Amino acid sequence: MIKLENVCKTYKLGEDEVQAVCNVNLTIKDKEYLSILGTSGSGKSTLMYLIGLLEQPSSGKILIDGKDVSKLSDRDLSKIRNSHIGFIFQSFNLINRYTVEENILLPVKYSREALAYDPKERAWDLMRRFSIDKRAHFYPNKISGGQQQRVAIARALIGNPEIILADEPTGNLDSKTGNEILKIIENLNKELGVTIVMVTHEKEIANRTKRKIFIKDGEIVDKY
Amino acid sequence: MKIINGYSDLAKSAFSDFRRNKVRTLLTSLGIMIGVLSVVMLISLGLGLKNYIKNQFESLGANLIMILPGSGFGGQGGFGPGLVGGAKFDEKDVRSLERIPEIKYIVPTYFKSAKIEGPSKDEFGYIMGVNEEYFKLMNIKLEAGSLFGESENQARAKITVLGYSLAEKLFTNPSDAVGRTVRFSDQRFKVIGVSQKTGDNEGDNSVVIPYKTTFGSINPGKTFWAIYLGIESDSQVQTAKDKAKETFLKRYDEDSFSVTEQSELLSTINQIFNILNAVLVAIGSISLLVGGIGIMNIMYASVTERTKEVGIRRAVGATQEDILMQFLTESALLSALGGAMGLILATLIVLIVRPFFPLEINFLSVVVTLGISSAIGIFFGVFPAKRAAKLPPIEAIRYE
Repeated sequence: MIKLENVCKTYKLGEDEVQAVCNVNLTIKDKEYLSILGTSGSGKSTLMYLIGLLEQPSSGKILIDGKDVSKLSDRDLSKIRNSHIGFIFQSFNLINRYTVEENILLPVKYSREALAYDPKERAWDLMRRFSIDKRAHFYPNKISGGQQQRVAIARALIGNPEIILADEPTGNLDSKTGNEILKIIENLNKELGVTIVMVTHEKEIANRTKRKIFIKDGEIVDKY
Repeated sequence: MKIINGYSDLAKSAFSDFRRNKVRTLLTSLGIMIGVLSVVMLISLGLGLKNYIKNQFESLGANLIMILPGSGFGGQGGFGPGLVGGAKFDEKDVRSLERIPEIKYIVPTYFKSAKIEGPSKDEFGYIMGVNEEYFKLMNIKLEAGSLFGESENQARAKITVLGYSLAEKLFTNPSDAVGRTVRFSDQRFKVIGVSQKTGDNEGDNSVVIPYKTTFGSINPGKTFWAIYLGIESDSQVQTAKDKAKETFLKRYDEDSFSVTEQSELLSTINQIFNILNAVLVAIGSISLLVGGIGIMNIMYASVTERTKEVGIRRAVGATQEDILMQFLTESALLSALGGAMGLILATLIVLIVRPFFPLEINFLSVVVTLGISSAIGIFFGVFPAKRAAKLPPIEAIRYE
């Protein structure tokens, strides 16, 4: 369970301070499937990155399973990101000089614990599951957008995370491929019980999730 | 095991990046390569010259004392007013030295460069006027023929013992020289022997004649350039030196002669060459420094180019330290690569040039140069790597 208590995030823009997120109180339960809905610049991505521990709040607390993570060291935060959180981005964010297989295995390089699985075997399982096994030795720029996003999903899943954070995962895809990707993500929640937090600006996509959070000017304004 | 895997992963990743940017990698390493090449070449040159000169002196033999004109080589590590000027020694000095019991051999030496005429060609060489003790003191062995003795010296015989190289140049087969004649200073000399190669350039290219023979047109002043003394044992060298000095002080000013042990001379030579080497290395290091700055420049460009990658890596669990190590490994390897190329090239050049010029590469200079080039890579890689590690993950991921 992830809990945000009065979380604010301010950025310095030259002399000015911009509040990207303020006074956010939010609880994300295990195995939840929720969306954060907002327009461009509303602070929804910042909120996602705060949940993903890629950003530290300027004030407030973030608790994971009751433990305050706001004051953890870079090493500890990286460890949590590595083994408990998976990211899916709008622009896939694969490393172009690595093959599909190498991209999927990237998080394993930074794992600091003995793994309970064979990473290579697991990578191939995931590739087969997402029908990209025939592209294992291709470089990302040689495969389609839909395939690239599947690679990104496989990379997010390699460490068996409890939570997947998806930032506009269908934003760069046509509607058919986007729909396929959404189905994959939904199945992760349904079949594997992975908590999904999806950031989107499209109501139709948000409507597919079990809970929607609406964010405007950095604040949560409405709850359905 | 995990750590070792980690490092090999880092190196693998660095090499895969180098492969993808071959031209850039080559150009960046080139700076370090030239730096290492110049440092190694300059060290080799310094070392080669030092050993060459050291060998020349060491071939003179052990327990050797030299009495030279002028203040000569000072034992304190510097040259005095020099070897030019000062006292001109003569037979009277030789007789006074004969009274010192510790001295086993006394070799008054006349020395002059001259054109030596053989049967079919002329060669440049040295006239060395000495007595028979010279051969024992300098441990000269015969290749062919015989040496001259005291009687030939007294008789001012026009005979000579040729140095090996000179005999080879004049007669092709050195042994053929025995019994033939050579001409120098408008006089004919019968070759009675040829000495074995000593490694001493002057000795191997000289015509050794009895010193009394020089007391005509060659050396009308009947003076000697130096007097070499051979001492019975190590422990007597200092006493003999003191006594010789005392004897000479009765006749000459302190500044007009010097009594020097071979070991003092060697230590002076060592000191001079150590300074020379340090200066050469310092000059070579400038190019290493420039190469290092080149690496820093490329690494900064690389960090900017891969900002997004840094963000991705951070998102999947890389710590700041991981990112730092990744870029540091790259710059250190880039630098070591340049270092290795420079070293290979330097070794090749040394191997090619060595037959013609005294160059030497030693293991220490190889290790030191490789160490320094990697250290430069790390030093100049730290700033760009730190920048990469400190990139805020969000900004890095969003970077286009």
